[in-house]
Amino acid sequence: MTEVDAAEARRAIEHYYEHGWTDGLPVVPVTESYLAEFLARTDRDPDEVLIPMPHLNKNLTVRLAAINAALAGCLPSYFPVVVAAWDAFLGDGMVTRSIWQSTTGTAPFVVVYGPVRQRIGLNSQGNVWGSGFRANATIGRAIRLGAINGLGLKPHVFDQATQGTPAKYSCCIAENEEDSPWTSLAADNGIGPDDSAVSATVIRSVLHIEARHTTAPEQLAADFADSLCRTGALVRARASGYVVLNPEHARLFNKHGWSKADVQVAIAERGWRTYRDMEKTGKEAIAGGTGWRLPADHPDALPQETPEDPDTPVQLIPAPEAVHIVVAGAPNAGVSSIVETFGVVGRAPAIVKVEEK
Amino acid sequence: MLERAGIPAVSVCTDAFRITAEAMANQMGFPGYRYVTVTHPIASRTEKEIDEMARQALPDVIRVLGAGLTYPEVTPA
Repeated sequence: MTEVDAAEARRAIEHYYEHGWTDGLPVVPVTESYLAEFLARTDRDPDEVLIPMPHLNKNLTVRLAAINAALAGCLPSYFPVVVAAWDAFLGDGMVTRSIWQSTTGTAPFVVVYGPVRQRIGLNSQGNVWGSGFRANATIGRAIRLGAINGLGLKPHVFDQATQGTPAKYSCCIAENEEDSPWTSLAADNGIGPDDSAVSATVIRSVLHIEARHTTAPEQLAADFADSLCRTGALVRARASGYVVLNPEHARLFNKHGWSKADVQVAIAERGWRTYRDMEKTGKEAIAGGTGWRLPADHPDALPQETPEDPDTPVQLIPAPEAVHIVVAGAPNAGVSSIVETFGVVGRAPAIVKVEEK
Repeated sequence: MLERAGIPAVSVCTDAFRITAEAMANQMGFPGYRYVTVTHPIASRTEKEIDEMARQALPDVIRVLGAGLTYPEVTPA
Protein backbone atom coordinates (compact mmCIF):
# COMPACT_ATOMS: atom_id res chain seq x y z
CA MET A 1 0.00 0.00 0.00
CA THR A 2 1.42 3.41 -0.94
CA GLU A 3 1.40 6.44 1.35
CA VAL A 4 -1.39 8.00 -0.70
CA ASP A 5 -3.56 4.87 -0.42
CA ALA A 6 -3.03 4.75 3.33
CA ALA A 7 -4.13 8.35 3.67
CA GLU A 8 -7.23 7.64 1.57
CA ALA A 9 -8.06 4.62 3.71
CA ARG A 10 -7.75 6.70 6.88
CA ARG A 11 -9.93 9.41 5.35
CA ALA A 12 -12.60 6.84 4.53
CA ILE A 13 -12.48 5.45 8.07
CA GLU A 14 -12.81 8.95 9.54
CA HIS A 15 -15.79 9.58 7.25
CA TYR A 16 -17.66 6.76 9.02
CA TYR A 17 -16.72 8.16 12.42
CA GLU A 18 -18.00 11.59 11.43
CA HIS A 19 -21.39 10.09 10.58
CA GLY A 20 -21.54 8.06 13.81
CA TRP A 21 -21.69 4.80 11.86
CA THR A 22 -19.39 2.83 14.17
CA ASP A 23 -19.36 1.07 17.51
CA GLY A 24 -16.31 3.12 18.47
CA LEU A 25 -13.84 0.93 16.57
CA PRO A 26 -12.83 1.64 12.96
CA VAL A 27 -15.08 0.07 10.33
CA VAL A 28 -14.27 -1.31 6.89
CA PRO A 29 -15.29 1.08 4.07
CA VAL A 30 -18.06 -0.37 1.91
CA THR A 31 -18.56 0.29 -1.79
CA GLU A 32 -21.50 -0.75 -3.99
CA SER A 33 -19.40 -3.47 -5.61
CA TYR A 34 -18.30 -4.86 -2.24
CA LEU A 35 -21.91 -4.78 -1.00
CA ALA A 36 -22.92 -6.76 -4.10
CA GLU A 37 -20.53 -9.53 -3.08
CA PHE A 38 -22.42 -9.93 0.20
CA LEU A 39 -25.86 -9.80 -1.41
CA ALA A 40 -24.74 -12.45 -3.94
CA ARG A 41 -24.39 -14.90 -1.03
CA THR A 42 -28.13 -15.04 -0.35
CA ASP A 43 -31.32 -15.61 -2.33
CA ARG A 44 -33.12 -13.12 -0.12
CA ASP A 45 -34.40 -9.88 -1.67
CA PRO A 46 -32.20 -6.93 -0.59
CA ASP A 47 -35.36 -5.04 0.37
CA GLU A 48 -36.78 -7.83 2.52
CA VAL A 49 -37.26 -6.71 6.10
CA LEU A 50 -35.41 -8.92 8.59
CA ILE A 51 -36.30 -6.95 11.72
CA PRO A 52 -39.23 -4.50 11.74
CA MET A 53 -39.13 -1.73 14.34
CA PRO A 54 -42.32 0.24 13.58
CA HIS A 55 -42.27 2.36 16.73
CA LEU A 56 -38.93 3.84 15.60
CA ASN A 57 -39.93 4.05 11.91
CA LYS A 58 -37.05 1.67 11.17
CA ASN A 59 -36.68 -1.61 9.31
CA LEU A 60 -33.52 -3.68 9.14
CA THR A 61 -33.48 -4.95 5.56
CA VAL A 62 -31.23 -7.59 4.00
CA ARG A 63 -29.30 -4.75 2.34
CA LEU A 64 -28.76 -2.94 5.65
CA ALA A 65 -27.68 -6.23 7.25
CA ALA A 66 -25.16 -6.70 4.41
CA ILE A 67 -23.78 -3.17 4.66
CA ASN A 68 -23.25 -3.57 8.38
CA ALA A 69 -21.69 -7.02 7.97
CA ALA A 70 -19.21 -5.48 5.54
CA LEU A 71 -18.58 -2.53 7.88
CA ALA A 72 -17.97 -5.01 10.71
CA GLY A 73 -15.19 -6.71 8.77
CA CYS A 74 -17.07 -9.86 7.75
CA LEU A 75 -16.09 -11.66 4.56
CA PRO A 76 -18.97 -12.13 2.09
CA SER A 77 -18.93 -15.87 2.88
CA TYR A 78 -20.03 -15.07 6.46
CA PHE A 79 -23.19 -13.31 5.30
CA PRO A 80 -25.53 -16.36 5.28
CA VAL A 81 -24.69 -16.81 8.98
CA VAL A 82 -25.49 -13.15 9.67
CA VAL A 83 -28.85 -13.46 7.88
CA ALA A 84 -29.70 -16.62 9.83
CA ALA A 85 -28.74 -14.82 13.05
CA TRP A 86 -31.14 -11.95 12.29
CA ASP A 87 -33.88 -14.49 11.50
CA ALA A 88 -33.18 -16.14 14.85
CA PHE A 89 -33.38 -12.76 16.63
CA LEU A 90 -36.78 -12.22 15.02
CA GLY A 91 -37.87 -15.66 16.24
CA ASP A 92 -36.47 -15.00 19.72
CA GLY A 93 -38.77 -12.01 19.90
CA MET A 94 -36.91 -9.80 22.37
CA VAL A 95 -35.35 -7.43 19.83
CA THR A 96 -38.71 -6.53 18.31
CA ARG A 97 -39.99 -5.95 21.84
CA SER A 98 -37.49 -3.06 22.06
CA ILE A 99 -35.17 -4.82 24.49
CA TRP A 100 -32.16 -2.99 23.04
CA GLN A 101 -33.66 0.30 24.20
CA SER A 102 -33.90 -0.96 27.76
CA THR A 103 -31.79 0.17 30.72
CA THR A 104 -30.68 -3.44 31.30
CA GLY A 105 -28.44 -3.03 28.26
CA THR A 106 -28.49 -6.54 26.80
CA ALA A 107 -26.08 -7.75 24.12
CA PRO A 108 -26.80 -9.91 21.08
CA PHE A 109 -25.59 -13.50 21.65
CA VAL A 110 -25.11 -15.79 18.65
CA VAL A 111 -24.11 -19.47 18.62
CA VAL A 112 -23.24 -21.23 15.36
CA TYR A 113 -23.55 -24.99 14.75
CA GLY A 114 -22.65 -27.40 11.95
CA PRO A 115 -20.16 -27.53 9.07
CA VAL A 116 -20.22 -23.79 8.30
CA ARG A 117 -18.04 -23.36 11.42
CA GLN A 118 -15.04 -24.94 9.68
CA ARG A 119 -15.81 -23.40 6.29
CA ILE A 120 -15.55 -19.85 7.60
CA GLY A 121 -13.10 -20.42 10.47
CA LEU A 122 -15.33 -19.92 13.52
CA ASN A 123 -13.61 -20.71 16.79
CA SER A 124 -15.38 -23.20 19.04
CA GLN A 125 -12.32 -24.23 21.04
CA GLY A 126 -9.83 -22.46 23.32
CA ASN A 127 -10.50 -18.79 24.11
CA VAL A 128 -13.98 -19.18 22.67
CA TRP A 129 -15.23 -16.03 24.46
CA GLY A 130 -12.02 -14.17 23.73
CA SER A 131 -10.61 -12.26 20.82
CA GLY A 132 -8.45 -13.47 17.95
CA PHE A 133 -10.85 -15.02 15.43
CA ARG A 134 -12.17 -12.98 12.54
CA ALA A 135 -15.42 -14.89 11.95
CA ASN A 136 -16.47 -14.80 15.62
CA ALA A 137 -15.42 -11.19 16.09
CA THR A 138 -17.03 -9.81 12.96
CA ILE A 139 -20.27 -11.83 12.86
CA GLY A 140 -21.07 -10.69 16.41
CA ARG A 141 -20.09 -7.15 15.48
CA ALA A 142 -22.27 -7.26 12.34
CA ILE A 143 -25.33 -7.73 14.56
CA ARG A 144 -24.38 -4.90 16.87
CA LEU A 145 -23.60 -2.51 13.99
CA GLY A 146 -26.92 -3.52 12.41
CA ALA A 147 -28.64 -2.45 15.60
CA ILE A 148 -26.78 0.87 15.75
CA ASN A 149 -26.92 1.83 12.07
CA GLY A 150 -29.88 -0.15 10.76
CA LEU A 151 -32.28 0.18 13.68
CA GLY A 152 -30.97 3.50 14.99
CA LEU A 153 -30.17 2.17 18.45
CA LYS A 154 -27.35 4.54 19.32
CA PRO A 155 -26.11 4.79 22.91
CA HIS A 156 -27.34 7.86 24.86
CA VAL A 157 -30.27 8.23 22.44
CA PHE A 158 -32.53 5.22 21.80
CA ASP A 159 -30.17 2.78 23.52
CA GLN A 160 -30.75 3.73 27.14
CA ALA A 161 -28.49 1.07 28.68
CA THR A 162 -27.47 2.08 32.18
CA GLN A 163 -24.08 0.37 31.85
CA GLY A 164 -24.37 -2.16 29.01
CA THR A 165 -21.91 -5.03 28.78
CA PRO A 166 -18.59 -5.64 26.96
CA ALA A 167 -20.47 -8.31 24.97
CA LYS A 168 -22.14 -5.45 23.08
CA TYR A 169 -19.02 -5.11 20.92
CA SER A 170 -19.37 -8.68 19.69
CA CYS A 171 -20.59 -11.96 21.14
CA CYS A 172 -20.53 -14.94 18.78
CA ILE A 173 -19.32 -18.43 19.62
CA ALA A 174 -19.55 -21.82 17.92
CA GLU A 175 -20.41 -25.13 19.57
CA ASN A 176 -17.42 -27.49 19.91
CA GLU A 177 -19.25 -30.46 18.43
CA GLU A 178 -16.03 -32.41 17.83
CA ASP A 179 -15.04 -32.52 21.52
CA SER A 180 -18.58 -32.90 22.88
CA PRO A 181 -19.92 -36.27 24.03
CA TRP A 182 -23.41 -35.18 22.96
CA THR A 183 -25.25 -33.90 19.90
CA SER A 184 -25.30 -30.10 19.44
CA LEU A 185 -28.04 -27.80 20.68
CA ALA A 186 -29.08 -27.35 17.04
CA ALA A 187 -29.33 -31.11 16.48
CA ASP A 188 -31.39 -31.39 19.67
CA ASN A 189 -33.79 -28.90 18.10
CA GLY A 190 -34.31 -30.64 14.77
CA ILE A 191 -31.41 -29.41 12.62
CA GLY A 192 -29.93 -32.20 10.44
CA PRO A 193 -26.31 -33.38 10.89
CA ASP A 194 -25.18 -31.95 7.52
CA ASP A 195 -26.91 -28.61 8.05
CA SER A 196 -25.57 -25.52 9.76
CA ALA A 197 -27.61 -23.35 12.06
CA VAL A 198 -27.55 -20.29 14.30
CA SER A 199 -29.24 -19.65 17.63
CA ALA A 200 -29.70 -16.11 18.88
CA THR A 201 -30.95 -14.38 21.97
CA VAL A 202 -30.16 -11.40 24.17
CA ILE A 203 -27.94 -11.68 27.22
CA ARG A 204 -26.57 -9.79 30.19
CA SER A 205 -23.46 -11.29 31.81
CA VAL A 206 -21.14 -14.14 30.93
CA LEU A 207 -19.82 -15.63 34.21
CA HIS A 208 -16.84 -17.92 34.68
CA ILE A 209 -17.48 -21.13 36.60
CA GLU A 210 -14.20 -22.44 37.96
CA ALA A 211 -14.68 -26.08 38.98
CA ARG A 212 -11.35 -27.76 38.33
CA HIS A 213 -11.16 -30.39 41.03
CA THR A 214 -14.56 -31.96 41.55
CA THR A 215 -15.26 -35.40 40.12
CA ALA A 216 -18.90 -35.52 41.25
CA PRO A 217 -21.54 -34.51 38.68
CA GLU A 218 -23.91 -33.49 41.48
CA GLN A 219 -21.37 -30.94 42.78
CA LEU A 220 -20.86 -29.56 39.31
CA ALA A 221 -24.62 -29.20 38.76
CA ALA A 222 -24.90 -27.40 42.12
CA ASP A 223 -22.14 -24.98 41.11
CA PHE A 224 -23.93 -24.03 37.89
CA ALA A 225 -27.28 -23.70 39.67
CA ASP A 226 -25.74 -21.44 42.32
CA SER A 227 -24.45 -18.99 39.72
CA LEU A 228 -27.61 -19.09 37.62
CA CYS A 229 -29.55 -18.20 40.77
CA ARG A 230 -27.34 -15.36 42.00
CA THR A 231 -29.63 -12.71 43.42
CA GLY A 232 -28.01 -9.93 41.39
CA ALA A 233 -29.34 -11.47 38.18
CA LEU A 234 -32.91 -11.56 39.43
CA VAL A 235 -34.76 -8.65 37.93
CA ARG A 236 -37.54 -11.03 36.95
CA ALA A 237 -39.12 -13.68 39.13
CA ARG A 238 -37.24 -16.58 37.55
CA ALA A 239 -33.72 -17.40 36.41
CA SER A 240 -32.66 -18.73 33.02
CA GLY A 241 -29.54 -19.03 30.93
CA TYR A 242 -27.13 -20.95 28.82
CA VAL A 243 -24.59 -23.22 30.46
CA VAL A 244 -21.57 -23.27 28.15
CA LEU A 245 -19.75 -26.41 29.24
CA ASN A 246 -16.14 -26.90 28.35
CA PRO A 247 -15.58 -30.42 26.94
CA GLU A 248 -13.94 -31.59 30.19
CA HIS A 249 -17.06 -30.83 32.23
CA ALA A 250 -19.31 -32.31 29.54
CA ARG A 251 -17.25 -35.51 29.56
CA LEU A 252 -17.41 -35.69 33.36
CA PHE A 253 -21.21 -35.68 33.22
CA ASN A 254 -21.18 -38.18 30.34
CA LYS A 255 -18.76 -40.51 32.17
CA HIS A 256 -21.32 -40.81 34.96
CA GLY A 257 -24.02 -41.69 32.48
CA TRP A 258 -25.70 -38.30 32.55
CA SER A 259 -27.31 -37.19 29.28
CA LYS A 260 -27.59 -33.51 28.42
CA ALA A 261 -31.24 -33.66 29.54
CA ASP A 262 -30.12 -35.18 32.87
CA VAL A 263 -27.80 -32.21 33.39
CA GLN A 264 -30.64 -29.77 32.67
CA VAL A 265 -32.87 -31.56 35.18
CA ALA A 266 -30.13 -31.67 37.83
CA ILE A 267 -29.42 -27.94 37.49
CA ALA A 268 -33.11 -27.03 37.55
CA GLU A 269 -33.69 -29.17 40.67
CA ARG A 270 -30.93 -27.25 42.44
CA GLY A 271 -32.17 -23.91 41.08
CA TRP A 272 -33.51 -22.36 44.28
CA ARG A 273 -32.52 -20.08 47.13
CA THR A 274 -33.97 -19.80 50.61
CA TYR A 275 -36.56 -17.17 51.42
CA ARG A 276 -33.96 -15.81 53.85
CA ASP A 277 -31.49 -15.20 50.98
CA MET A 278 -34.17 -13.50 48.93
CA GLU A 279 -35.24 -11.27 51.82
CA LYS A 280 -31.63 -10.38 52.62
CA THR A 281 -31.31 -8.81 49.15
CA GLY A 282 -34.80 -7.30 48.98
CA LYS A 283 -36.05 -9.67 46.28
CA GLU A 284 -38.54 -11.81 48.19
CA ALA A 285 -41.68 -10.39 46.55
CA ILE A 286 -43.00 -9.99 43.00
CA ALA A 287 -44.31 -6.73 41.51
CA GLY A 288 -47.79 -6.52 40.05
CA GLY A 289 -47.68 -5.69 36.35
CA THR A 290 -43.97 -6.07 35.61
CA GLY A 291 -43.46 -9.30 37.58
CA TRP A 292 -40.09 -8.00 38.74
CA ARG A 293 -38.51 -8.95 42.07
CA LEU A 294 -38.56 -6.37 44.84
CA PRO A 295 -38.91 -6.06 48.65
CA ALA A 296 -42.23 -7.13 50.18
CA ASP A 297 -42.77 -3.63 51.59
CA HIS A 298 -42.42 -1.94 48.17
CA PRO A 299 -45.64 -0.24 47.03
CA ASP A 300 -45.74 -2.35 43.84
CA ALA A 301 -45.32 -5.71 45.65
CA LEU A 302 -48.13 -8.20 45.30
CA PRO A 303 -49.43 -9.43 48.68
CA GLN A 304 -47.84 -12.72 49.72
CA GLU A 305 -47.54 -14.85 52.84
CA THR A 306 -44.20 -14.83 54.63
CA PRO A 307 -43.15 -18.46 55.22
CA GLU A 308 -42.80 -19.49 58.88
CA ASP A 309 -39.45 -21.11 58.19
CA PRO A 310 -37.06 -18.59 56.59
CA ASP A 311 -35.13 -21.48 55.06
CA THR A 312 -38.09 -22.40 52.87
CA PRO A 313 -36.83 -22.82 49.28
CA VAL A 314 -37.89 -20.33 46.63
CA GLN A 315 -37.68 -22.09 43.24
CA LEU A 316 -35.94 -19.79 40.76
CA ILE A 317 -35.20 -22.06 37.78
CA PRO A 318 -38.75 -23.06 36.87
CA ALA A 319 -38.01 -26.03 34.59
CA PRO A 320 -35.15 -27.89 32.86
CA GLU A 321 -36.05 -26.03 29.63
CA ALA A 322 -34.91 -22.77 31.26
CA VAL A 323 -31.33 -24.06 30.98
CA HIS A 324 -29.81 -24.45 27.51
CA ILE A 325 -26.56 -26.38 27.22
CA VAL A 326 -23.83 -25.78 24.66
CA VAL A 327 -20.33 -27.30 24.66
CA ALA A 328 -17.48 -24.92 23.78
CA GLY A 329 -13.90 -24.19 24.74
CA ALA A 330 -10.77 -26.29 25.08
CA PRO A 331 -10.68 -29.62 26.94
CA ASN A 332 -7.79 -28.39 29.09
CA ALA A 333 -9.33 -27.34 32.45
CA GLY A 334 -12.54 -27.37 34.48
CA VAL A 335 -13.59 -23.88 33.45
CA SER A 336 -17.08 -23.36 32.04
CA SER A 337 -19.45 -20.41 31.90
CA ILE A 338 -22.97 -19.24 32.55
CA VAL A 339 -24.69 -16.89 30.12
CA GLU A 340 -27.50 -14.92 31.70
CA THR A 341 -30.25 -14.61 29.11
CA PHE A 342 -33.02 -12.05 29.18
CA GLY A 343 -35.66 -13.70 27.00
CA VAL A 344 -38.75 -15.72 27.76
CA VAL A 345 -37.88 -18.34 30.36
CA GLY A 346 -38.32 -22.03 29.65
CA ARG A 347 -38.84 -21.88 25.91
CA ALA A 348 -36.95 -23.70 23.15
CA PRO A 349 -34.07 -21.56 21.80
CA ALA A 350 -34.64 -19.69 18.53
CA ILE A 351 -32.57 -21.68 15.99
CA VAL A 352 -32.49 -21.02 12.25
CA LYS A 353 -30.85 -23.10 9.52
CA VAL A 354 -28.08 -21.35 7.55
CA GLU A 355 -28.88 -21.13 3.83
CA GLU A 356 -25.52 -20.96 2.06
CA LYS A 357 -25.33 -20.09 -1.62
CA MET B 1 -50.07 7.39 19.36
CA LEU B 2 -53.13 8.13 21.50
CA GLU B 3 -53.07 11.75 20.41
CA ARG B 4 -52.89 10.72 16.76
CA ALA B 5 -56.07 8.73 17.43
CA GLY B 6 -57.71 11.87 18.81
CA ILE B 7 -57.45 10.85 22.46
CA PRO B 8 -56.00 13.58 24.71
CA ALA B 9 -52.87 12.28 26.43
CA VAL B 10 -49.84 13.48 28.35
CA SER B 11 -46.50 11.68 28.33
CA VAL B 12 -44.66 11.68 31.65
CA CYS B 13 -41.08 10.49 32.07
CA THR B 14 -38.28 11.04 34.54
CA ASP B 15 -35.61 13.58 33.74
CA ALA B 16 -33.09 10.74 33.14
CA PHE B 17 -34.94 9.92 29.92
CA ARG B 18 -35.20 13.43 28.52
CA ILE B 19 -32.75 12.85 25.62
CA THR B 20 -34.56 9.71 24.54
CA ALA B 21 -37.94 11.43 24.84
CA GLU B 22 -36.78 14.24 22.55
CA ALA B 23 -35.29 11.74 20.07
CA MET B 24 -38.51 9.72 20.08
CA ALA B 25 -40.61 12.82 19.43
CA ASN B 26 -38.38 13.79 16.50
CA GLN B 27 -38.43 10.25 15.13
CA MET B 28 -42.24 10.19 15.20
CA GLY B 29 -42.47 13.54 13.41
CA PHE B 30 -43.24 15.74 16.45
CA PRO B 31 -40.20 17.90 17.16
CA GLY B 32 -40.98 20.16 20.10
CA TYR B 33 -43.50 17.66 21.50
CA ARG B 34 -44.81 18.80 24.88
CA TYR B 35 -44.41 16.33 27.73
CA VAL B 36 -43.87 16.36 31.47
CA THR B 37 -40.74 15.33 33.33
CA VAL B 38 -40.47 14.33 36.96
CA THR B 39 -37.36 13.79 39.06
CA HIS B 40 -35.59 10.47 38.64
CA PRO B 41 -35.87 7.75 40.03
CA ILE B 42 -39.27 6.05 40.38
CA ALA B 43 -38.55 2.40 41.20
CA SER B 44 -36.93 2.96 44.60
CA ARG B 45 -39.38 5.52 46.02
CA THR B 46 -42.01 4.95 48.69
CA GLU B 47 -45.72 5.23 47.95
CA LYS B 48 -45.83 8.49 49.89
CA GLU B 49 -42.99 9.97 47.83
CA ILE B 50 -44.67 8.90 44.58
CA ASP B 51 -47.93 10.51 45.69
CA GLU B 52 -46.06 13.73 46.43
CA MET B 53 -44.35 13.64 43.02
CA ALA B 54 -47.70 13.13 41.31
CA ARG B 55 -49.19 16.04 43.26
CA GLN B 56 -46.31 18.30 42.23
CA ALA B 57 -46.49 17.19 38.58
CA LEU B 58 -50.26 17.62 38.29
CA PRO B 59 -50.25 21.35 37.32
CA ASP B 60 -47.75 20.55 34.55
CA VAL B 61 -49.90 17.65 33.36
CA ILE B 62 -52.96 19.88 33.18
CA ARG B 63 -50.98 22.62 31.44
CA VAL B 64 -49.69 20.21 28.75
CA LEU B 65 -53.13 18.66 28.35
CA GLY B 66 -54.62 22.06 27.56
CA ALA B 67 -51.78 23.21 25.29
CA GLY B 68 -50.94 22.38 21.69
CA LEU B 69 -49.23 19.12 20.84
CA THR B 70 -45.90 20.82 20.16
CA TYR B 71 -44.26 24.09 21.07
CA PRO B 72 -45.22 26.60 18.35
CA GLU B 73 -41.67 27.79 17.76
CA VAL B 74 -40.66 24.31 16.57
CA THR B 75 -41.90 23.25 13.16
CA PRO B 76 -41.72 19.70 11.89
CA ALA B 77 -38.60 18.98 9.84
